[in-house]
Amino acid sequence: MRKISVFALAAVFVFVHSAIALSSQRPDQLTFPPLVLTFPDISEHQTANGMNLYVRPDDELPLVDLTVMIRGGSIYDPPEKTGLAQLFSQALETGGSLSYSPEQLEQELDLMAAELAVSSSSYAYQIDLSIHQRDLDRAVEILADLLRRPRFDDRRVELARQRLIESVHRQNDRPASIAGRYLAQAVNPGHPLGLEPDIETLESLTHDDLVMVHERFFHPQRLWWGVSGAVDEEQFLTLLSHYFGDWDSQAKVDYEFPALPESVIATTYVVDRKLSQTTLMMGHRGISKDNPDLHAVRLANYILGGGGFNSRLMREIRSNRGLAYSIYSQFQPGRYLPELFNIVGETRNDGALEVVRLVRHLIDEMIATPVSAEELESAKRSLINSFIFAFENTHSVVTQKMRLLFYSYPADYLETYQERIEALTAEDVQRVARRYLQPDNLHVVLVGDSDILLDDLENKSADVVIIELD
Amino acid sequence: MYRFLISSLLLFSLWVPVNAIAGSLSERVQEHRLENGLTVLLVERHTSPTVAAYISFRVGSVDESSQQRGIAHMLEHMLFKGTKTLGTRDYEAEKPLLKKIEEIGEKITRLNIHPDGDRQQINRLQETLYELQQQHREFVVKDEFARIYAEQGGVGFNAFTSKDQTTYLINLPANKLELWAAIESDRLQHAVFREFFTERDVVQEERRRAVDINPGGKLYENLLVTAYQVHPYRHPILGWDSDIQGFSLPLIRDFFHRYYNAANMIITLVGAFDSADTLALIESYFGGLPTVAEIPPVSDREPQQQGERRIHINYDAEPRMMVAYHKPTLPHSDDYAFDLLARALAHGRTSRLYQSLVVNQQVVSDIGVFRAPGSRYDNLFIISLLPRRDVSLAAVEKALDEEIQRLITEPLTAADIEKARHQIMTSMLRGMRTNSGLARMLSSYQILGDWKYLIEYEDRLKSVDSQALIAVAERYLQRSNRTIATLSRGDVQ
Repeated sequence: MRKISVFALAAVFVFVHSAIALSSQRPDQLTFPPLVLTFPDISEHQTANGMNLYVRPDDELPLVDLTVMIRGGSIYDPPEKTGLAQLFSQALETGGSLSYSPEQLEQELDLMAAELAVSSSSYAYQIDLSIHQRDLDRAVEILADLLRRPRFDDRRVELARQRLIESVHRQNDRPASIAGRYLAQAVNPGHPLGLEPDIETLESLTHDDLVMVHERFFHPQRLWWGVSGAVDEEQFLTLLSHYFGDWDSQAKVDYEFPALPESVIATTYVVDRKLSQTTLMMGHRGISKDNPDLHAVRLANYILGGGGFNSRLMREIRSNRGLAYSIYSQFQPGRYLPELFNIVGETRNDGALEVVRLVRHLIDEMIATPVSAEELESAKRSLINSFIFAFENTHSVVTQKMRLLFYSYPADYLETYQERIEALTAEDVQRVARRYLQPDNLHVVLVGDSDILLDDLENKSADVVIIELD
Repeated sequence: MYRFLISSLLLFSLWVPVNAIAGSLSERVQEHRLENGLTVLLVERHTSPTVAAYISFRVGSVDESSQQRGIAHMLEHMLFKGTKTLGTRDYEAEKPLLKKIEEIGEKITRLNIHPDGDRQQINRLQETLYELQQQHREFVVKDEFARIYAEQGGVGFNAFTSKDQTTYLINLPANKLELWAAIESDRLQHAVFREFFTERDVVQEERRRAVDINPGGKLYENLLVTAYQVHPYRHPILGWDSDIQGFSLPLIRDFFHRYYNAANMIITLVGAFDSADTLALIESYFGGLPTVAEIPPVSDREPQQQGERRIHINYDAEPRMMVAYHKPTLPHSDDYAFDLLARALAHGRTSRLYQSLVVNQQVVSDIGVFRAPGSRYDNLFIISLLPRRDVSLAAVEKALDEEIQRLITEPLTAADIEKARHQIMTSMLRGMRTNSGLARMLSSYQILGDWKYLIEYEDRLKSVDSQALIAVAERYLQRSNRTIATLSRGDVQ
């Protein structure tokens, strides 16, 4: 057992306030006492059978929060079984365990006022459990049975499947979900990152598929625990050893991810929905967290469209022209494989092509012209000074630490974050803009009134694909 | 709506003392009233060196007359446009231009109201307006509040307008509290409503996004205008399209001066600060805000509903449905009964409607029960349902009717009620995990009258027994008291 103190934050400062300076001074000319940032302590343990545990006690409220991450996830779904990770999560959450029927389990959890949620992402399954402190022992006992011996009760699996099918039926009710689907398909055709479940794939999933996912991924060495709240560390370790100690560890296997496909050639998709507003999404492949330019890309994106009202997209498209309520860009750094760079917004149908033109113009400008010293400094200050909010909530402090290690971020990622941002220059921003913003590869998806959109698109040379929804 | 835990939980023979905030909210919350009537709620909490800062005004869309629909929200947007010193390069030089822009803009607004308005004249004026706006941009320092806050590490700088309140919020590093006081007091005293006609277009896009392209938003809006015929809870918060097109600056200024005064304002801070210093800071920055005559409550009364109402929306989306019953608001004791009812019916997998409609009968894929649209005045108990693909809206309604009936023939037991109460109190604890969660709870209850409702809350819940729930079901969950809104492709099924 070792205790590390990489990560904590306690800030020491004295609040001094000067009531004198009222109104004679601009707010941004005020001076402030320094805020000293240290990193909060998080205890780290590894059990004999290989489970990793991160704990931070905090007894302000009589609650305990547990997050369990398990290596696995939708990246491993075979394309013809897309939706397996989602069904598995629902089946685990609702399907009972060897010792407890689904009814017994939900009855007991509801009586405890516990909140249990199982979810999946590209590279992980995640179990979140929030309980009252007095129920901790029993909750860990139940969780052990669920994680080690899930039942996948047939009726509950069928109900979970039907509810997923229902969400497929409803997937065109939201224009943003239509746009996201076509963009993902265009960037990663046929790949788990570009696929969404359909009725056929969901109907093909079997009980054996669920058992296989469990056998493949649910081993102590693949399990990570993040625990916070009214919990005693030693007591929790005892609980883990009591309920999980005899769970055999297996040889560690790392499964390979399917390689990313070529994106299709940049295309404009028009999806006809007779609505008063067009939802637009533009994007191409982005980066992964292992990219050495991660911080520079983050800063460049803040300036382009990630910085809310301080970003160029918001300033030009919303604030100066009133063309949108919401418009932003994001690089979602993939944990392993590169994920998307995209721009998302909504505008009146007859403004859609104007917004696309403005977005392209603003991207071109990031590439062609260095950002001003003022804009650079403002963005850097924001990223550096808001860093403290990464440590605001005890459970997020623990899960953040766990997540960074789970995904093999550099050990000093947090400690060096501020200085890495500080070191960036306008040249860095322009360099990464040139490299990672690729106007020629931008896919454009427009979901709106095609009579207006196609009219405006006429005489444009871009390839346009018109999509009819069922 | 947020509710909150105060005393310890006693349940299932196990008893654990509840510590810190939960046990001693009455000691942790410091309440002050400044001479000008401003209410200040402070909770010191040194978990991390951050502060959640909320400023709330007891004014929302419920306070609007039909000539003012959407104004509270539009005003909220305009209060992000700067002051005489922030957001401008030179206010004195900018002023004449702002005046000209307003004249032309208001003229266009008036002309647009007439269906046979002179298009040519409007177009000419539009061009003039556009040119003036281009000139004006030279004076504008864009979104300067947002820039300053962001540079100083602020996150979540935002505001929201609901039926009941308008709230301006931010989370700041704890050493930046004076920055917040300086900016917020400046914008309350020296706001300049610049870029108004562009912002009107932004709000138009906001409405399209929230209602026009969102079947859930569309259904809810129609439910409210059908359930309420008189009371202003029927007004959409953003206003209707024609309201937005007709917004005018004089109306907004009047509204601002009427409602944004100290006696109608609540400051709530939760986080790492010294309370005495912070109170002195608030005094010095906000103590000079004006107090005007007391604001009378909304006088419109919704007549008792006499007979079921239905509305159907033909919309290109899968079917959905909402059912609403009129009910009283707090502190009426029936309001607490409805809290328990909502829990027992639709929160958690063992709740009644979930078990019956989702798991056993499988007629819906999801269900929600909540009260809305506000709590300052009598409100609605709403059940929202998503029918399964092969199940008609009529069949869902029938299944729901049977469950409502069952509340009387097969009442909730004492154990059901205890479970619901335990869940409500525990989920309140969860809401207190973050500074901003706690700040929002406190300010929302203060808006309704007094944050101390939270202290009595658990006892009020405990006073509700099985008989009381039957009585509430019999009294309110009647066909003649309900409104059913449905949405699907084509006419009602």
